[in-house]
Amino acid sequence: MTSAIRALQPPQGESLRLESMVHALSGRYVVVAGASRRVRRRRLDTFDRRLGCDGLALEHRNVATGERLVLSRADGSPTVTVTAEDLRWPALASALPPGPVRDAIAPVTGIRALMVVSDERRRIQSLALQNQDGKTVARVELDAPASPASAVPTEVTLYPLRGYDASARRAAALLTGAGLLPLARAAPPARPRPKLHGDDPSTVLLTTVLGGFLEAMGENLPGLLNDVDTEFLHDFRVAVRRTRSVLKLGRPALPQVMRSRWEPAFKWLGDLTTPVRDLDVYELDLPRLEGWLVSADAADLDAFATHLRIRRTAERRTLVRALRSTRYRRLVIEWGEELSLLASTPHHQTPGVEQQEPLSAGQLGSRCISRAHRRVARGGAAIGADSPAGDLHALRKRCKELRYALEVFAPVIDAAAGKRVIGDLKDLQDVLGRFQDSEVQRQALRGFAEEMMVDGTPAAAVLAMGELIGHLDLEQDRARREFDVAFARLERPSSLHLMHRLGGVT
Amino acid sequence: MKVLATYNIKGGVGKTSTAVNLAYLSAREGRRTLLWDLDPQAAATYLFRVRPRVKGGSHALVTRSWPLDAALKATDFDNLDLLPADFSYRNMDLDLDDTKKRTRRLGKLLSSVADDYDTVFLDCPPSVSLVSENVLHASDTLLVPLIPATLSLRTLDQLTRFVADSEGSRPEIVAFFSMADRRKRLHRDVIDTIPRDGTRIADTVIPSLAIIEQMAERRAPVSAFAPASRAALCYEQLWAEVRPS
Ligand SMILES: Nc1ncnc2c1ncn2[C@@H]1O[C@H](COP(=O)(O)OP(=O)(O)OP(=O)(O)O)[C@@H](O)[C@H]1O
Ligand SMILES: [Mg+2]
Repeated sequence: MTSAIRALQPPQGESLRLESMVHALSGRYVVVAGASRRVRRRRLDTFDRRLGCDGLALEHRNVATGERLVLSRADGSPTVTVTAEDLRWPALASALPPGPVRDAIAPVTGIRALMVVSDERRRIQSLALQNQDGKTVARVELDAPASPASAVPTEVTLYPLRGYDASARRAAALLTGAGLLPLARAAPPARPRPKLHGDDPSTVLLTTVLGGFLEAMGENLPGLLNDVDTEFLHDFRVAVRRTRSVLKLGRPALPQVMRSRWEPAFKWLGDLTTPVRDLDVYELDLPRLEGWLVSADAADLDAFATHLRIRRTAERRTLVRALRSTRYRRLVIEWGEELSLLASTPHHQTPGVEQQEPLSAGQLGSRCISRAHRRVARGGAAIGADSPAGDLHALRKRCKELRYALEVFAPVIDAAAGKRVIGDLKDLQDVLGRFQDSEVQRQALRGFAEEMMVDGTPAAAVLAMGELIGHLDLEQDRARREFDVAFARLERPSSLHLMHRLGGVT
Repeated sequence: MKVLATYNIKGGVGKTSTAVNLAYLSAREGRRTLLWDLDPQAAATYLFRVRPRVKGGSHALVTRSWPLDAALKATDFDNLDLLPADFSYRNMDLDLDDTKKRTRRLGKLLSSVADDYDTVFLDCPPSVSLVSENVLHASDTLLVPLIPATLSLRTLDQLTRFVADSEGSRPEIVAFFSMADRRKRLHRDVIDTIPRDGTRIADTVIPSLAIIEQMAERRAPVSAFAPASRAALCYEQLWAEVRPS
């Protein structure tokens, strides 16, 4: 195991002199300075920082000799460099040149695109530390901003080399002895999370979570508009859906305008984003669908893939136009204002309603959870062997409501109990989700096939889709059979006991 | 992970020079590359300025008392690691003889680093031994340097037959002319008349060039210290021919 890369920096306010570093090291090593290089360095990561979270750092460097991708790992294993041309960001990992960098990155980034997270011009000076044989036993890199205005100050990085750990440790000791300090990397600013208490007014909790969703919408909008990857739209929709649920859950505590104006406004937004997301789901799902084919060939689905592409392009145009419209801009601005207003006057009164103590967050939480749970319990108990698909769909929605209630009020309920109920609920939601998705997909595939036949698609393509529909039938049957067990788990005594602790069973 | 071995029963034909340069080129392309110096003379180890010392020696490696990766050394080049040789490797045959599956041991050891490397080069000592038998089994490709002389063609025939007769998966054999001197009539004749329908013969010929001998003083691959030299270009051409896809 090679020891980790060490990042060092001069003490704050002090500048770093190359000569003093060389001086400190040259008692022990022959220090060979490479030519100083100017580098344009773009750091890459996904929007949700998947590489960073996995201890990977990816850079796109332009140097005098060309462009390269440099992948380093926090655990100190060797840095991998590949030359590359014509890279454009954002891009999915699959668009990178084939090779070790792509192989290492792709499983981590998954469906998220790589984007430029910082773009800087730096001056890099590397030093090789050699032993008496002229063998390099460690490398030091001095990485300074090329212009004084840079936000990222000078850094010194010590790269250990495999099999020469002792030298790296010694060199690190020499550098710290010369006054360098371990680099304190500025952590990405964590979103300030106000502490919430059960007896705070419920509107405080509601405006906090709603504000969080609004922020998430804003963060995901640019990536959505530029079609960086599919997850921007997905996360945007999650924020919208959660907003709608919270408005519904919060009705007893929220002013009338939420119901009359904002619930419909967010319904509009939700509906607006549905068609593209549905098409995305099919596209992302294509490899899985291909795996289902037995008699048809995977290539028979090419026509379907093309059809999806064309439809998506058209639907995206509508979506983008709407999200660039004044209507949307106004919605966002005024919704922000509405939330600030609500936050500044938590003890609002609904006109015509008799003055009463405002609901506390804890009270509203247990009320919502208990109501949502009752609806799930009643709905689930009514499901029988021959209940129509619509009933299971209705139950799925109720489960979602309960799930959101548990999540929204998480800060003011018994955390451990909440987590465990969510665990049980997840299984049930999964079963219902598979049931419902199979139903919807079957119908959609039939619809697509009809559209494609009108366009004169070859029969093989339509037959392949027929096979998929058959498979979906089986999937749906399977999910239906798993329902009883999943529901029973949620209703077993120990779960009910947990619900009781959450105020859900009364 | 693809394994290439430079192999020839005969000494001094260019095995080490080839392994060192091709490994360097493989790494330069971004492939994570390992060069295992199997020769107790440790010529490849020397060329990379690494000290010929392996913790526990051949015995510990072969019996796995020390894991392979504890012995790995980074070279001065990105993506290129070396598993050095030391003098204890002269006993590797005896060490192998004591193990189970004694002809597959080295391949087994290599599989422990299969996730870490894309390409592995084995630089073999000039001999027929248990080590070389292990190498045949562990390799996907045997690169056989031939000095253009009638005798070396016989050696190639023998090797081809030996590989054909061995059991299990067999490496592909790619022979190439090494240290060729176009001024010598014999060299020209052999190169021009060698039958091309049997064992694969690479199109690239590595000529006899003084700069290749300089590697011993420079202690680096010629492709690193003289990247524009004719020697470096020849190794690049050879690599392009044998490079695993
Ligand atoms: N193409 C070449 N032109 C000139 N000299 C060469 C060439 N190839 C190798 N040599 C030199 O010939 C000698 C033997 O080469 P090398 O060590 O590569 O052969 P080898 O087959 O590995 O030898 P051994 O069997 O001893 O391991 C070295 O001094 C090397 O520098
Ligand atoms: Mg040799």
